Amino acid sequence: MLAMVNRVLDWIRSLFWKEEMELTLVGLQNSGKTTFVNVIASGQFTEDMIPTVGFNMRKITKGNVTIKLWDIGGQPRFRSMWERYCRGVNAIVFMVDAADEEKLEASRNELMQLLDKAQLDAIPVLVLGNKKDLPGALDERQLIERMNLAAIQNREICCYSISCKEKENIDITLQWLIDHSKGQR
Amino acid sequence: MSSGGKGKAAMKRDKKDEEASGNIYANLDKTSVLQEARAFNETPINARKCSLILTKLLYIISQGEQIGRTEATEAFFAVTKLWQSKDANLRRLVYIVVKDLSTISDDVIIVTSSLTKDMTGREDIYRPAAIRALCRITDTGMLQTIERYMKQAIVDRNGAVASAALVSSTHLMKKSAEVVRRWANEVQESVSSDNHMVQYHALGLLYHIRVNDRLAVNKLVQKFSKNSLKSPYAICYLIRIAARLLEEDDQADSAIFTFIESCLRHKSEMVVYEAASAIVSLPNITASELSPAITVLQLFCSSPKAALRFAAVRTLNKVSIKHPNSVMSCNVDLEKLISDSNRSIATLAITTLLKTGRECTVEKLMTQISGFVNEISDEFKIVVVDAIRSLCGRYPKKHTVMLPFLAKMLRNDGSYDYKKAIVDTVIAIIEENPEAKGTGLAYLCEFIEDCEHETLSTRVLHLLGREAPRTNNPSSYIRYIYNRVILEKSKVRAAAVTALAKFGAQCVDLRESIKVLLKRCLLDSDDEVRDRATFYLNMLTTAPPTVISNFLLDGLQVSPSGLERAVLEYLRGNSFASPFDLKVVPVTSQPLSQPQKRVPTIDEALEAPKPAKKEPYAEKLAAIPDFAALGPLFKSSPRTALTESVAEYTVHLIKHTFANSVVLEFDCKNTLNDQLLLDVSIEVEDPEQEWTPRLSIPIQKLPYGEAQSSYIVLDFPDSGSISGTLAATLKFKVMDVDPTTGEPDSEDTYDDTYVLEEVDIAVSDSVQGFSKTSFNPAWDALTDETEREETFQLSSVSSIPEAVKKISEILGLAPCERSDRVPEGKTQHTTFLSGIFRGGFEVLAKATVAIDPHDNSINMNILIRSAEQVVVDLVVSAIV
Repeated sequence: MLAMVNRVLDWIRSLFWKEEMELTLVGLQNSGKTTFVNVIASGQFTEDMIPTVGFNMRKITKGNVTIKLWDIGGQPRFRSMWERYCRGVNAIVFMVDAADEEKLEASRNELMQLLDKAQLDAIPVLVLGNKKDLPGALDERQLIERMNLAAIQNREICCYSISCKEKENIDITLQWLIDHSKGQR
Repeated sequence: MSSGGKGKAAMKRDKKDEEASGNIYANLDKTSVLQEARAFNETPINARKCSLILTKLLYIISQGEQIGRTEATEAFFAVTKLWQSKDANLRRLVYIVVKDLSTISDDVIIVTSSLTKDMTGREDIYRPAAIRALCRITDTGMLQTIERYMKQAIVDRNGAVASAALVSSTHLMKKSAEVVRRWANEVQESVSSDNHMVQYHALGLLYHIRVNDRLAVNKLVQKFSKNSLKSPYAICYLIRIAARLLEEDDQADSAIFTFIESCLRHKSEMVVYEAASAIVSLPNITASELSPAITVLQLFCSSPKAALRFAAVRTLNKVSIKHPNSVMSCNVDLEKLISDSNRSIATLAITTLLKTGRECTVEKLMTQISGFVNEISDEFKIVVVDAIRSLCGRYPKKHTVMLPFLAKMLRNDGSYDYKKAIVDTVIAIIEENPEAKGTGLAYLCEFIEDCEHETLSTRVLHLLGREAPRTNNPSSYIRYIYNRVILEKSKVRAAAVTALAKFGAQCVDLRESIKVLLKRCLLDSDDEVRDRATFYLNMLTTAPPTVISNFLLDGLQVSPSGLERAVLEYLRGNSFASPFDLKVVPVTSQPLSQPQKRVPTIDEALEAPKPAKKEPYAEKLAAIPDFAALGPLFKSSPRTALTESVAEYTVHLIKHTFANSVVLEFDCKNTLNDQLLLDVSIEVEDPEQEWTPRLSIPIQKLPYGEAQSSYIVLDFPDSGSISGTLAATLKFKVMDVDPTTGEPDSEDTYDDTYVLEEVDIAVSDSVQGFSKTSFNPAWDALTDETEREETFQLSSVSSIPEAVKKISEILGLAPCERSDRVPEGKTQHTTFLSGIFRGGFEVLAKATVAIDPHDNSINMNILIRSAEQVVVDLVVSAIV
């Protein structure tokens, strides 16, 4: 009964307190950032995307939370601009292609370099290991080890292994993001 | 800082009260606007506030405010945050700001994806503007990524989208022609669009794609002139293309002209006017071809639409110089337009009539103008004055009517510009027509008796000093000049003293009376006036005739900055045992105080190519330590090309002459975007073995698109030769680079050479021409012992003016006393030339050119004098 009342209260509150949050999505090229945005926005998976030249701005509404998403291109020439879009956001989502062994080290370096920036202190980071459906893809544990995530101490950090294609773990990812919207911070 | 800015702003507002009020953007401060731009990073976006800030940003950029790269980049990235807002007005402002910041900010390609999304999206209001912004931020390397979208946009059903894509592509042609050419099929498709604007823009782009291929342009005109275009804009454009084809080619297809002529019967007035205006400006057009076009313009003259009347009369005005007889048929209509309520039309009508008027109608026209001239603004009065000036050029005898008229205009009230135009015209008439000199000078004397503009008074006094002593009765002018000494301000008094002295110098019988007048000026209250009087009095009393002519009649002909530099060097040198030598100072071809000649706007006089400016070169060369020992720069030649303008590497040559050496400056430019050139140098070789390079300064690195200079120093050979022809080769190492980033692909280089055109060093490089105001005294001052005389036939020229020009070019000497003007119909003409030879030796020449009336062959007899025999011989070597 109490749960019922709480839910009604939540619903009424959501009418007045529309949450808004801002996210920045970065990571090396071809790790599936734009695909991820499409999956959480429309639930549709589309393969063979054109590389993002610059950034895409998307607004997605989930329940009473509006997510503003800056999806930034991952090609080398855009990496220096990531920081500009990460300043002051609620969370940074760092996408990794978990099935691409060769790029893992470059990916780790880029992440560390980004988190070294003083302006981005204390912003929570969510590392997503995409393409878990592919054979040989690393799981969370391996990813945390290979990306050396344990070394990051001064902020909240989380790591999920997901698959945009099979839509695996998308729900927990969303939940994590919504938990980090303004109200909860 | 901001409070200071406000204080200043407040003061400004006081000054220009009515201007400042109403414009909320006036007095914006760059720093504070950029500060405000940080609001773009805030969430949520306040669209109204951000729109206002963007407008302010646009305003300061359009006002020419310089924004540094870091600041601009910061602002640009802040602007990109505005993409989250769905406000349509804000987004459209964002597109405009992106365009404006695209050149001054870094990393602008960051908005590529967002713009691509907008240009292909559902919001029609975004699409055209997004296309324009996208094309602006995209460089050649990135163009391929958006190629697919551009092709689609060009054939889009929405006219605004297609037009935006077409116009943007036309801009892209400038830097990425190759890529845009691949879109020709789509462009062709959109030429058949029903939308007038799209058709016009598509035709324009198609022409630009093919412009370098004459045959293709020809085909284009023929194709579209048959299957008639619907858009009047497109037809107008096609007429322009067709007219250009006819202009460039005498043997052009007659079908092209037929097409233009057929457009005279088009139903759109715009097309009809365009066709008529194209026909009348074609070169080599016959009277019969011209008449239908003139008839059309004549009809327009009585149109109820003011714009059409204006266009017609303006075009007739232009044609009337070349084809006065054809325009004369419109005279009745033009006369009606004199009373047109639109004064611009009226003025153009009257000036046209002045140009087409026959000698006998001039009086009648002048009376018509005088009834009319007081009603128009000064600006149009100046147009009328210019028309009178050109009329005087054609009918010199009519100066008896014109001069009194101008004098009357001069007496009326008017602005400085207006008075100046009249004085200029009177002076021009005096200079062109010796018969008018007496009357003209008399009117000018009357004018300065009551003239409020000091500049004009001093100009007239200067003219009097130069021209009046050579008239029949010079003494009659002295009273007017001396009145100035008594009545005017110091500036005019000083000019009057100088004018008096010139009378004294040229008219020996007046000299004693002039001295008396000058003595009275010794007690003047102004320093300058006293100094001048003392100087002139002394000169006239003691100096020999040659000194008088050098210092009183010819001004100092040195470049002011050159003189400053030479004196500074002399002062640093610490060797004051020898006096300062004026000969080391570079001379200019222009005397120090030469008023700029105003070209009458209605005479379509071609502007002469400007002479090479010495000052910037002198600064640039002085900055190179290897050239310090060469002494002051004597002369720099004009810039000439040693390669075709479309070559892979373009090289331009400038020859700098010093006392004992020639410095060859090679401006090299690398036009290949996949090459970096290293160690670029020029090798010159003299087949005669006389000229050998002493020093060569290579270019270390020459990246794509940059221009840099390589130098070679040549000493004048011991043999005494001052001319030669050297073979030149460009030598360099090539490193292949990535066209988009400019980063080298590998460290490998290979040697390459590129043959240039030959370098000519001519006698004229050792001679700086400068015009003397009085030639004969200088000529007589040089003995005839060193004189050389040569007679020869000129086969390469066909007229006397051409021959005069040629000889002055070959010798590098400048004509004096306007003796390069050859009266029409004369079979013989003598021109006076003068200049300075390297080292400061004066060289004078008298060249007599005669044309044989039987076979039109041209003969020239030339006398050359200089103080030094060797100089004369060297100069003569240029022509034999």
